[in-house]
Amino acid sequence: VMEGRCAVETWAQFGFSGRSYKVKILCGFGTDVLICTGTEEIYVFSKRERKITASIRFTSDASSSPAELKISQECLVVGADEVSSLLLVGSVLLTLCQRDASWLLTLYKTPKQTASTSHKEFGSFHLPVASAVDCGAAESNRGPRKGSVLICIHSGDVEASSSSNASAESTVAQDHFHLEPLLFKLLFGVEAALAKSPVILCGLPDGRLCFLPLRLPGSRLRVLHSLEQPVCFVGASVVTETGHAQCLVAAGEQGRVALIKTDKAGSEGGSAVAAFTERCVPGPVWCGCMDKSCFYYSTGADLLRLDLSEGSFARESKERGEETSGTTAAALQSPSSLNVCRVIALAEPACTGDVQLLGVSARGQLQRICLPAGRVDEGSSKLPSTQVSRSVRDLLSAIGDVCERYAPSVLKTVIKSKNQFLRLLNHAVSVSFLLMADTTTDLPIKEKPIRCHFETSWSRLLQKDSLILVCFLHNSSPFVLERGWTLSITVSPLSYSSSPAGESSSTNFSFPFHDLRPGQTFEASLPIAAAGDASFPMTVSCSLIFSLSSLLGEEEVAASFAGLQSSCISLPLSTLTVDWLHALQLNSPTATHKMATVQPSSAAADSIQTFLSSRQLRCSGRTNRGGESAAKPEPEKYSASVWVSSEIVRDTLKPKKSSNLDAKESIRDPEDLYKIALSTSVAHARGPNGAAMKLTVKEVNHKEATIEVQIESSSLAAVCGLHHAVLRRIQIKARLCFFQISGAFGEVVSTVQRDRLLLSVYQELRRNPLLIV
Amino acid sequence: MYQPPSLLEKWSQENNELVNKCKQEAAGGAVSRDHRQSSLRWCSSEFHKLLRKIQGIPPHVDHSQLELAVVYNTCVCFTAQSQFSEAELLLKEATERVLQVTGNNADTSDPLVLWRAGLKSAGNTALHPHVLYLLCLQWALWLAKCQLENIGELQMSSLCEIVCDGVGDCSPSEAKGRLSKSPLLVMEPKRLTELLQICTSIAQGAEKLNEGRSSEALSDLQAASALPATRALVAYTHLLSGSCLAHMNRPQMALQCYKRALETDSRCVCALYRSMLIYRQLGNTQAEIQALRLLHSTLMLPPATEPVLGGIQPLSPSLLLSSQSLSRLLSVPSALSVLYSLALKCVLSGRVTEGVEHYLDLLAALHSEDQHAVRVDAEVSVLPRMPELYLEAGTALLFTWRPADCMAFCNEVISTTLELVPEKVVLEEPEEGIGGDARGLSVEGEDKVAMLLWAAAAYLVQGHCHAHLKDWKQAVTHYTRCINLLVKVHLKNRDFQPQIPAADVNVKHGKDLCTLQRMKGLSLAWRGISFTQMDQLREALRDLQLSLQAFPDYTGAGLWCGEVLWRLGRKHEAAACWEKTWSLTTQTSVEKLPLYLQDPQSGPLLDSVELRFRIQELVPPV
Repeated sequence: VMEGRCAVETWAQFGFSGRSYKVKILCGFGTDVLICTGTEEIYVFSKRERKITASIRFTSDASSSPAELKISQECLVVGADEVSSLLLVGSVLLTLCQRDASWLLTLYKTPKQTASTSHKEFGSFHLPVASAVDCGAAESNRGPRKGSVLICIHSGDVEASSSSNASAESTVAQDHFHLEPLLFKLLFGVEAALAKSPVILCGLPDGRLCFLPLRLPGSRLRVLHSLEQPVCFVGASVVTETGHAQCLVAAGEQGRVALIKTDKAGSEGGSAVAAFTERCVPGPVWCGCMDKSCFYYSTGADLLRLDLSEGSFARESKERGEETSGTTAAALQSPSSLNVCRVIALAEPACTGDVQLLGVSARGQLQRICLPAGRVDEGSSKLPSTQVSRSVRDLLSAIGDVCERYAPSVLKTVIKSKNQFLRLLNHAVSVSFLLMADTTTDLPIKEKPIRCHFETSWSRLLQKDSLILVCFLHNSSPFVLERGWTLSITVSPLSYSSSPAGESSSTNFSFPFHDLRPGQTFEASLPIAAAGDASFPMTVSCSLIFSLSSLLGEEEVAASFAGLQSSCISLPLSTLTVDWLHALQLNSPTATHKMATVQPSSAAADSIQTFLSSRQLRCSGRTNRGGESAAKPEPEKYSASVWVSSEIVRDTLKPKKSSNLDAKESIRDPEDLYKIALSTSVAHARGPNGAAMKLTVKEVNHKEATIEVQIESSSLAAVCGLHHAVLRRIQIKARLCFFQISGAFGEVVSTVQRDRLLLSVYQELRRNPLLIV
Repeated sequence: MYQPPSLLEKWSQENNELVNKCKQEAAGGAVSRDHRQSSLRWCSSEFHKLLRKIQGIPPHVDHSQLELAVVYNTCVCFTAQSQFSEAELLLKEATERVLQVTGNNADTSDPLVLWRAGLKSAGNTALHPHVLYLLCLQWALWLAKCQLENIGELQMSSLCEIVCDGVGDCSPSEAKGRLSKSPLLVMEPKRLTELLQICTSIAQGAEKLNEGRSSEALSDLQAASALPATRALVAYTHLLSGSCLAHMNRPQMALQCYKRALETDSRCVCALYRSMLIYRQLGNTQAEIQALRLLHSTLMLPPATEPVLGGIQPLSPSLLLSSQSLSRLLSVPSALSVLYSLALKCVLSGRVTEGVEHYLDLLAALHSEDQHAVRVDAEVSVLPRMPELYLEAGTALLFTWRPADCMAFCNEVISTTLELVPEKVVLEEPEEGIGGDARGLSVEGEDKVAMLLWAAAAYLVQGHCHAHLKDWKQAVTHYTRCINLLVKVHLKNRDFQPQIPAADVNVKHGKDLCTLQRMKGLSLAWRGISFTQMDQLREALRDLQLSLQAFPDYTGAGLWCGEVLWRLGRKHEAAACWEKTWSLTTQTSVEKLPLYLQDPQSGPLLDSVELRFRIQELVPPV
C-alpha cells in the first residue's frame, strides 16, 4: 500500500521523440540538469526556473527558442570516432570505443592550461571483443549501437586524499563510487589499494565487466565478471555511515543483476572473499540509477525498485543457516513496482530527505518522480571480529607498555608501599578477629594466641625503691606483630579517694612493636609505683593498639589528616589488679634474692617512715576498729583476720584450670606467701608504704579444717590493704562456687538434676561457713 | 575517343590534389597522432575511391601509369594505417592488371611468382619503374609482417639499387618533358627504398642475433651503419652491433658500440640500458648506478622530439620494425623500473641514504596523479609488487636510522593485507616431475600465501624497528605476531625435509618456501635476541634453537644461541655452538633475497674475536 503511489511531476517537454537508449541525465551542476538526447543536442534544464534554459548543439541550426550555445570546432578535445562512453578521472579523460576486433580504452591527459583544448593521448588498453557474443553485437550493429558503461571506483579509505584537489568537483559524482576498502581489495587486489589507485570499471555490451587499476604500473584491462548479456548499468550501493558502498551492482539488459559483496565468513580459512550473486529481475532493463540502498530501474512498462540492503541481509543470514522471514528473502526476487511507465533515462540527484528521481519519458518529458517516504535505512557497520580482537590485543600491549614505562619511577614504590600497607592492614584485621574470638569463646589462658602475664618485683630505681611490673606478651598467633602495633599498659588506682585529682593518677605506658614474630615473647618492665607513695590496689589493664597513623607515616598524616592521628584500633588483652599482696616485701630470708638485695639499703629510712606513719594512723585505726567484724583490738597494732577453709587455701595453691580470670599472676604472690606462711606460720613483711606487718597463718579449728589468716601491723592502711587483698583472693574461689551455681541454673537440665546440684552447692557452703560471698 | 584523355587528366589532377593535401597535412605539423591518423584515414579512403573509379574500366596502357601511381598512393596510406591485408590485395590486383595490359596471364596465386612475372612483363616499358615502386611497397609489407625470407628470395637489396639508379637516370632525361604529366606520389620511392634497406638490415640483424648467428649479424649491421638514414636508425645499427658483441662475450667492444649509438642519437635510451646491463655483468657497481641514473633522467624527459623518428613520411620506421626479436632487443624498462633498480642497487652497494631517496621518489611517483598505467613491458619490468616495494622502502629507511618512517610503511602494508590473510594456508612444495603444474595453482591461492608473507614480513621489519630502538618488549610483540602468521602456513608433501631448499629452485612455490623458512628463522632468532636483552634467557634459548631448526644457515642465530648458553653457564655447549656456526660458512647470496629478508644491520652484535678469546680461556691448555 505504501509503495503504490509515486508523485510524478512533469517539468518539461522536449522536442524529441522515439525510443533511444542514449538519452542521459546528468546532475551535479548545481541547480542545472543536463539532458543529453544522444543525438546532437544537449538541453540544460534549470530546476530553479523550472524550464529549459539552454540547449547545446553541435551543428548550427538557428531555430530554437531557448538560448543556444554553439560548440565550435575549437572545443573539440578529442577527435575520436564512435566513442561509446567516456569518463573523467581527475585530469584524465577516458574513452571507450570499439575498434575492429577489440575494445579500446584510451587515456587522454587534460591540459593544465586552459589555453589549449587538445587533449593528449598517453595510453590505451585493448581488450579483444568476445567472439561468441560478437555475432549478436554485430547483428545489433544494424540498429543503434549499444552503449557501454564506464565508472570509476575509489577505495573508501583514500577518499580524502584523492578528493583534496579540485578534480573532485569537476568529476560528476554519478560515475564515481567509493567502495568499502575490503571489497575493493578483494576485487581489485592489494596493489591497487596500496597504490591508492582508482579503478576504472567498464561494462561492455558483450556482458563483460572489466576493470583497470588506473595508476598501477603494468596493469592490464582484466575481466571481473561476465553477465552474458549487455551490461546497461554498473554502480555501487548499500552505503554505510562512513560513505562506503558495500555492494557493487551490475545489471544486464535482460534483467540479470550481479551483486558483488564481501563474504566475511569465507569458505576456506575464515578469511573474507568476494561473493558474486546473480539474480534475475523482471526485465528488460532500459536504464537505472542508484541511491544509498536501492537500485531503481525502468523496464519501459514500469519503474521498479530493488532494495539491496534488505535483500542482501536476507541472503547472508540464509547462508549462515539462520531463520529468515519470507518477506525479506523474497524482496530480492521481486522488486517493488513504483507504477511509472515509459521512463528511458533515470538519475538520482542525491537530494536530502525524500527520494527523488529524475526521469525522461519516452515521449520526451522530463519528470520528477517523488518516491513515498517511510523506509528507514538500516545498516549498521560493525568492525569485523578479527579486527576487534587485533585492536584489543594492541590496546593490551599498549597498556602493558605504558605500565612498564612508568613503573620504575615513583609509581612502582607507591604501589609497593600500598601493597605493604594492605598487607599490614590485613594482618591487623586478622589479629583483631583473633582477639575478638578470644573474648567470645572461653579459651583457657594458655591456649590464647596472644596472651600476657605479669610479674611484680621490687627494684631500686633512682635512689628509690619501686615496684616493677614485668609484662610478658607471648605471641603464638601466626601473625607477626610489626610496625603499627603497640602494647599499651594503663596503670590506674582502683580507688581514687587517696588522690584528689582522680584521673591524672592513672599512667599510661606504651611499647611499640617492631617485629614480634610468632612464638616470640615480648618483655616490658615498668615501674608502677615508688615505695611509699602508691595507692594500692591498682588496676593494670593491658591492650594491643593498632594505629593507622604510625602505619601511614607521621609526616603524611600530620599533613593531610589531622583527625586520623587518634584513629586506632584498641584490643584489650587482660586486666590485673595489683594489690597489697603483690606489693608485699617479705623480710624472711626465703624471699627472692631480688628483694633481698634491695632491702638492706632502705631499712633505716623505712623504719622511721614506719614509725611515723603508724603513729599518725593509730587514732583513726581505733575508731574504725568496730567496723572490722573479726578484728582483734590490740594496743599499738591493728590486726585483721580471715577464716578460710583450708580446702580453699589448698585449692588456691593449685593451678586452676577452669578459671576465667588471669589467675596465674595472681597466684604467684599468694603462693609464695602461703608457702612461707605454711612453713613458718608467721611471715614478716613490709608494705609498699613501708609499714611492717606480720602475717600469721594458723589452723583454728581442726575439726572443720579452718585456717585463720591474721594480719597485724601498726599501720591501719597496711592492715586494710592486705586484708582486702587476702579477701580478694578468697573471693576468687567464692566466685567460682557462684559460677557453679549460676551454671546450674543456666544449663538446661531437669529440675531434679538442678535440685541435686543446688543441694551439693548448699552443702558445700554449709561445710565452709567461712566462705565469704 | 575524346573522353579517355580528359578522364585521365581529371583523375591525374585529382590524384595530385590529394597528394598535395596529404603532404600539407604532414608538413603542417603533427598536431597529434590521432589527428594524423584521421587525416590518413581520410586520404586513404579518397585514394581508394579514386582507384575504384580508375579500375572501373578495363586496364589500358595509357591509364596504367596513373593507375599504378594511385595504387602506390593508396597502398602507402593503407600501410601507414597498418591495414596490410587491404594493401596486399590492392598490390596483387595491380600486378594482375599489369600482366593483363602486357598480355600475359598468371594463374598463380603465389606472390613471388606473380611478382617475377610482373617484373618480366613490364620489361623495359614505361611501366617498369612503377612496377618497381609497387614491389618496394610489397617489400615494406613483408618487412612489416616480418616475412624476411620473401625479401631474401627476391633479392630486394639489388632492387634497391635499380630503383635508386633507375629513377635517377630516368628523371633528368626522359621525364623532363612529361614532368607535369607524371602523377605525383605520396612518398618518394627513393626515400622509401632507403628506409626499407636500413630497416631490413636492422630487422635481419636482429633476427640473426636472435638465432645466435652473432658474427654474421655483426658484419651486416656494420655495413648497414654506413647507409643513408635518420640518426635514430643508424643508432639502432650501432646498438645491435653492440648487442652482437655482448653476445660474443666482448663487453668492452660492446660498450664502445653503445657509446657510438648514443653519440649518433642521444635519445637512444636502449643503448644506455644495454651499457648498464654490461656494467652490471662486469660487476662495476658505480658505473652501473651512474648508468641507471642517466637512464632514468633520460626516460623522464618529455617525449617532445618523438616525431623525429617518424619524420614527415607517412611510413614510419616503427611500422616497419615490428619484429618481435627486434622489439625485445630494443625494449627498455619503464622509468619506474629503472628508478627501482637504481634504488635497490644504491642500498645494496652501501649508498643507503641515496637509495632511500630513490625509493621515496619511486613511491611518490607511484602515488602521484600523473602516474598512469601506460607502458606494459612485462618482460623487462623488474618492479616488484606494491607491498614488496613498501617493505623494501621501509627496510631501507630502517638502514638509515629512520625507524618511525619504516614503521609507518609497514603499518600500511599490514592494514592492507591483514584483513585478507586466511586462517590457514597450504603451501605445496614443488615436486620435481610436475614443476610446471605447480604454477597452475589458482591465482587466488597463490595470492593468499603472498598476502600472508607480506603481512608477516611487515611485522618482522617492525620488530627490527623496535629492536633498533631497543624497545625489546615491543620487538618481542612484533616478532611474535610475525611468527603467529607464519605458523598458519601448512606445508604439504613433506617427503623431503623442508630444509632450506636449494637456491636454484626457481619455481614460485620454492621461492615462497624459501621466504617462509628464512622469515621463520629470522623472526625466531630475533625474538630470541630480544629475550636475551630482557634477560629472559630460557625463552631466548628456546627461540634461538627453534630458529636454527627452521633455518640452520643463519649465523646470527648460531652465535646468539652460543651466547645464551654461555650466560646460562653452559659454557662448553656454548663453545661447541660457536664452533659449529663458524664452521658453516655457506653464506647464501644476499643479493637474491628481498631487502626486507636480510639480516638487519642494527641491533646488538657479537664480536667473533671476543668469542674466540672466551673459548680459549675456557679450554685450559693441556
